[in-house]
Amino acid sequence: MARQRQVRSAGRIILAAAWCALCAAPAARAAEEGPIRVGCSITETGPYSPPAVFELQGYRLAAEEINKAGGLLGRKVEIVNYDDQGNPSTAVQLYQKLIYSDRVDLLLSPYETDLMSAVAPLVTRAKKVMPSLGANVDAFQGQFPYLVQAITETPRYMGPAIDLAASRGYKTIALLIQNTQFPQQLARGIEQEATAKGMRVVFKESFPPTTTDFSALVLKAAEAHPDVIVGATYLADSEGIVRAAKAQNINAKMFAFSIGPVEPEFGRGLGAAADGVFGTTLYFPTLHTAGNAEFVAAFKEKFERMPDYHAAVAYASLKVLAEAVRKVGSLDQDKIRDALLAASVDTVAGHFQLSPTGLQIGYTSYVLQWQHGAQALVWPADQATAAPELPHGAW
Amino acid sequence: MASIIALVILGLLWGGVYLLMAEGLNLIYGVMKVVNLAHGDLIVFGGLLGYSLFAHAGFTPIAALLPVALVLGALGAVVQWGILERIPLVGADGELRTLLATFGLSYVVSNTSFLLWGGQFQSIPFLQGALRLGPIAIPEGLLACSLAAFIAALLVDFWLHRTLAGKALRATAQSPLGAASCGLEIRRIRIIAFALGTAMAGGAGALVIALVPFQISSGGDLTVQSFTLIALGGLGNYLGAWIAAEILGLAEVLSQYYLGPDIASAIIYLLFIAVLLFRPQGLLGRLGRV
Repeated sequence: MARQRQVRSAGRIILAAAWCALCAAPAARAAEEGPIRVGCSITETGPYSPPAVFELQGYRLAAEEINKAGGLLGRKVEIVNYDDQGNPSTAVQLYQKLIYSDRVDLLLSPYETDLMSAVAPLVTRAKKVMPSLGANVDAFQGQFPYLVQAITETPRYMGPAIDLAASRGYKTIALLIQNTQFPQQLARGIEQEATAKGMRVVFKESFPPTTTDFSALVLKAAEAHPDVIVGATYLADSEGIVRAAKAQNINAKMFAFSIGPVEPEFGRGLGAAADGVFGTTLYFPTLHTAGNAEFVAAFKEKFERMPDYHAAVAYASLKVLAEAVRKVGSLDQDKIRDALLAASVDTVAGHFQLSPTGLQIGYTSYVLQWQHGAQALVWPADQATAAPELPHGAW
Repeated sequence: MASIIALVILGLLWGGVYLLMAEGLNLIYGVMKVVNLAHGDLIVFGGLLGYSLFAHAGFTPIAALLPVALVLGALGAVVQWGILERIPLVGADGELRTLLATFGLSYVVSNTSFLLWGGQFQSIPFLQGALRLGPIAIPEGLLACSLAAFIAALLVDFWLHRTLAGKALRATAQSPLGAASCGLEIRRIRIIAFALGTAMAGGAGALVIALVPFQISSGGDLTVQSFTLIALGGLGNYLGAWIAAEILGLAEVLSQYYLGPDIASAIIYLLFIAVLLFRPQGLLGRLGRV
């Protein structure tokens, strides 16, 4: 009796499977004629959403332009996105859904490194190519062969700022580093760049991300009499360091920070004290990169605000991915990856070029300075909209 | 070598800032035995409100102090009247219930802040220079916050000990039943106390945002920091909190200079553990009070 039931249920499973296959076949054919679906998760809500929403808008604009120009492989491009709320485990679930349930044709990256790193193993297992918006170099050493870096790599972040300091004959650097992954990797890049340019790091100290009082740290850094005070920082700590320096009248010829001055809040929060401070950016609306003027105009028209660097690198990454698909002529992920690794393309965010393991070696960064309450692009000289004001005067 | 005097002055001034942020929590605990876990989020809310008043109406943090304190005070009154007053405090889990309620409140406050101001750090350029006394620079912003902390502490102390309303509040804290049987309106008194505590949190935020950029998720750290400080001083003890704040400020600045910033951020908790081990009632607390 039991055996008979087993046989019968096995038969039922086979029938069910056949039925599914029958239903699925026309659906699959329809999918091939329908749009090319490009999936990603984006932090649309929560405290980490502002940069990620820029990214989504960059993706949307790129998709719209691709469709206007006739689509991809004769099909429209459609972005399928879900809200990961900035939570890495949510992002993993969403990519699982995108890959195995929605069966999207192509993948794009979430923002930022934490989310990108969380989905990396899954994306690699599924053998899906993903142009990734994570600046840290760890994910691009060969263990995730389907990930390619579509943003400036961390160690190159402050290269141009050090280059500017060296061009003025400055010799010594005090380096203040937030004790988290990105700033630490960045600091190693700063040290290498400084050594290459004949400069010396005379003071180096790291501080935890919860630090709010920088007075003693800045006082101690000043005792090494550095020409340049450099912070491998984010917004709040860069403001804290500038405040502590001003309140104690600690002067240097140049103050430069990785992240901080690039945010409009830096100028709003510090007022006149922001003037003269240098920062790094990966993109600026005035850049003379390929198609940038058109990109800025289209972005402004569609979203009624200026694009920032998140929007620009996201826009560029979908454009580069589409170009690779076009070159391959199919959605074969291995061939697309090889096409991306071989690519040498000019984008709005700069020259896109990868190392054999997918590390971004083309994109660079730019130096901005707060001048009279506004950001000006000051270095490298061929992209500058204003001359750098150096040395930094007494507070 | 930076002069040790400069470091000591910085430490004392930062102590004042820490005290300013902890005073509201101390008041609420002192007279109501409620640990307000939304305290840090209320400081951030007050700070961001001050930021908006500065950005849109040109209010300096000092001018924003009163309006922000009034708004936060009203908010506190509504919370006490609508939520905490309705939670029975009796029984072993009475305090746990208020903890859960204020924990929930912290989420409501921080998410409201997010809807109103977004997730970015905000700050205000105000009093960024320094007073010079010979070779020593005294940062104006730190000095203003310390003075405010000191004045607030004096006013609250005066109010609690010299006015009828304050005495009624303390009587209610000691014995709600006794106070009620003497004809005191303990409901109203508790509403006033909670409102005053949240008003002080908001006022502190309005000033401190000129020193430390605030973001909606800063609240949690501020609650922990303030709570550690008042526990160090002896929960609800004003002089104790002041001494604890100065010790923390000094320890933090001196250790940042001599031992490095990583140790400086741990020092508050190392001190706290030491106090818990050797003087569990806090520096100036009485045994059995906690």
